[in-house]
Amino acid sequence: MRYVTRVLAAILALAAAIIAVGPIVWAVSTSIKRNNEIFAVPPKLIPSSATLEHYARLIAEGVHWSFVNSAIYSIIAVSSAVALGTLAGYAFVRFEFRAKNALLHLFMAAMAIPSYALLLPTQILFVELGLFNTPAALPILYAAHVIPFAVWMTRAHFASVPIELEHAAAVDGYTRFEAVWRVVLPGAKPALIAAAAFGFLYAWNDYITSTTMIDSPELRTLPVALIFFQGFHGRDWGALMAGAVIATIPPVVLFLAFRRYLIGGFSEGSVKG
Amino acid sequence: MNAQTTRQRPAAGESDPAAAARRAGLALVVPALGVVVAVNVLPAFFGFYSSLRAIFFFGDDGFIGWRNYAELFADPATWAAIRRSLVFTFGSLALAVPLATLAAMGIRKLGAWGRLLLTVLLVPWAMSPIVVALLWKWILLPSPGGLLASILAHFGIEPINLLSHPDFAMPTVIAVGVWRTFAFAAIILTAGLGQIPADLYRAASVDGLTAIERFRRITFPLLAPSLLIVLSVLTISYFNEVQIIIGLTAGGPIHSTTTLGYQLFEVGFVELNQGKGNAIAIVMFLINLFLIVGYVRLLGGGRK
Repeated sequence: MRYVTRVLAAILALAAAIIAVGPIVWAVSTSIKRNNEIFAVPPKLIPSSATLEHYARLIAEGVHWSFVNSAIYSIIAVSSAVALGTLAGYAFVRFEFRAKNALLHLFMAAMAIPSYALLLPTQILFVELGLFNTPAALPILYAAHVIPFAVWMTRAHFASVPIELEHAAAVDGYTRFEAVWRVVLPGAKPALIAAAAFGFLYAWNDYITSTTMIDSPELRTLPVALIFFQGFHGRDWGALMAGAVIATIPPVVLFLAFRRYLIGGFSEGSVKG
Repeated sequence: MNAQTTRQRPAAGESDPAAAARRAGLALVVPALGVVVAVNVLPAFFGFYSSLRAIFFFGDDGFIGWRNYAELFADPATWAAIRRSLVFTFGSLALAVPLATLAAMGIRKLGAWGRLLLTVLLVPWAMSPIVVALLWKWILLPSPGGLLASILAHFGIEPINLLSHPDFAMPTVIAVGVWRTFAFAAIILTAGLGQIPADLYRAASVDGLTAIERFRRITFPLLAPSLLIVLSVLTISYFNEVQIIIGLTAGGPIHSTTTLGYQLFEVGFVELNQGKGNAIAIVMFLINLFLIVGYVRLLGGGRK
């Protein structure tokens, strides 16, 4: 009986893993097949001769520049959001100042504002301010969306660090800034990594904000470029899957590298409720 | 202002240390606050203000009171979109939550292999919804080489285009959305299961409870707080989902997947009726709020 349930569980687990990863493997396979094999009936999983022609076509169409745009926007947004969020998160734990609780609630409320509700008003505002369709638009918006989360994550962490740690560092002759920089921040690494990784996934994967804020092809992000590519090239599935693969590599590599912090971030949120 | 943040203690001439600390604290918060207020909080109010005005193509034709809302609710298309949003939301929940609960229980049992499985299941969650949509479109389209059509043909079933069939489009979109998000629920539930003391199960086996009784009397009540978190987080995220729909069906066929979120996208950014689009956003926001309050009440009730 025990043995049977164990075999059954293993089969179910394997099926779940195949359902989760199968489509991605299929995309990779399609992206390196020659066109005659892409449309072969029945489909073949392993191409008889691999080709990079679909990737080459993406580059010929300039889609790789959208990859670069996505990377630059995401990195600028996330690093500034985490830096600003950490400063604020630290201040909320270690300093007393006027309206502290009200300001903290403001950050939490900002986290509850759904991003779609901001799309139209920010589009109108950015048009007025001359930020619409500029390289600055998306880093600013992504940073603003990630900051409340970064404040929340880092604040929770700093609250768990005893102030004695900083006092001890002060006794050793460190200034307050040095104490925070050398003693407190290294310990906050998991919170910082989790905030940065969540923020990067959000910014890198976004389609809706970037499609409403950017018009020029040369400023486009990768998800938008892929939708446009599909619009122009219809059923060029080899190139589309090549695009899907390159769009997926950074988030999946990031997720696998930092899965501990990300999964920890999730489950911590659930336990704290 | 930033120079002040790095200062360790008040300079000699300055008043008292408490005041300096107040200033330093505020100085650390202000940069983050400025960005969030300018780009999140103020636009949210501006969105409401815009919903009371006639705005087309960025041109403001003035205050019209609640007319955008009146128009919206007089239009049967709005009610149809609300209904579809609810079908999408609760259809996804009905699929994702039981599956995730089962998966979480399995993952706990599998130990190290379970943790590996969880990591694998979370990979789709790391992907862009637009990429997920492209991926599944290629699998689902009955074009030559399409994976689903070939599998169906193997069993002698005529290929159907799930995405362009008015009856199948919504269930298909739901399934793809669940594929992307389901592991997120599984992970929170796995953590919740880990919080249940193993002693309870040992006592239960001493009392000779069956597996179903164990689930009903131990697992379910103690997992309830985690289940409520999963329900609330997923409800909000499904209700607001639009990227999967844009990528897979673009609201079609014959509007069968035009949810409220998609309608907002169409009215606000395609038709550029920005006043009415903002009214839809406010309606969505209120429904979100209503859902959040409902879940907070449920959660609060569960705690006592």
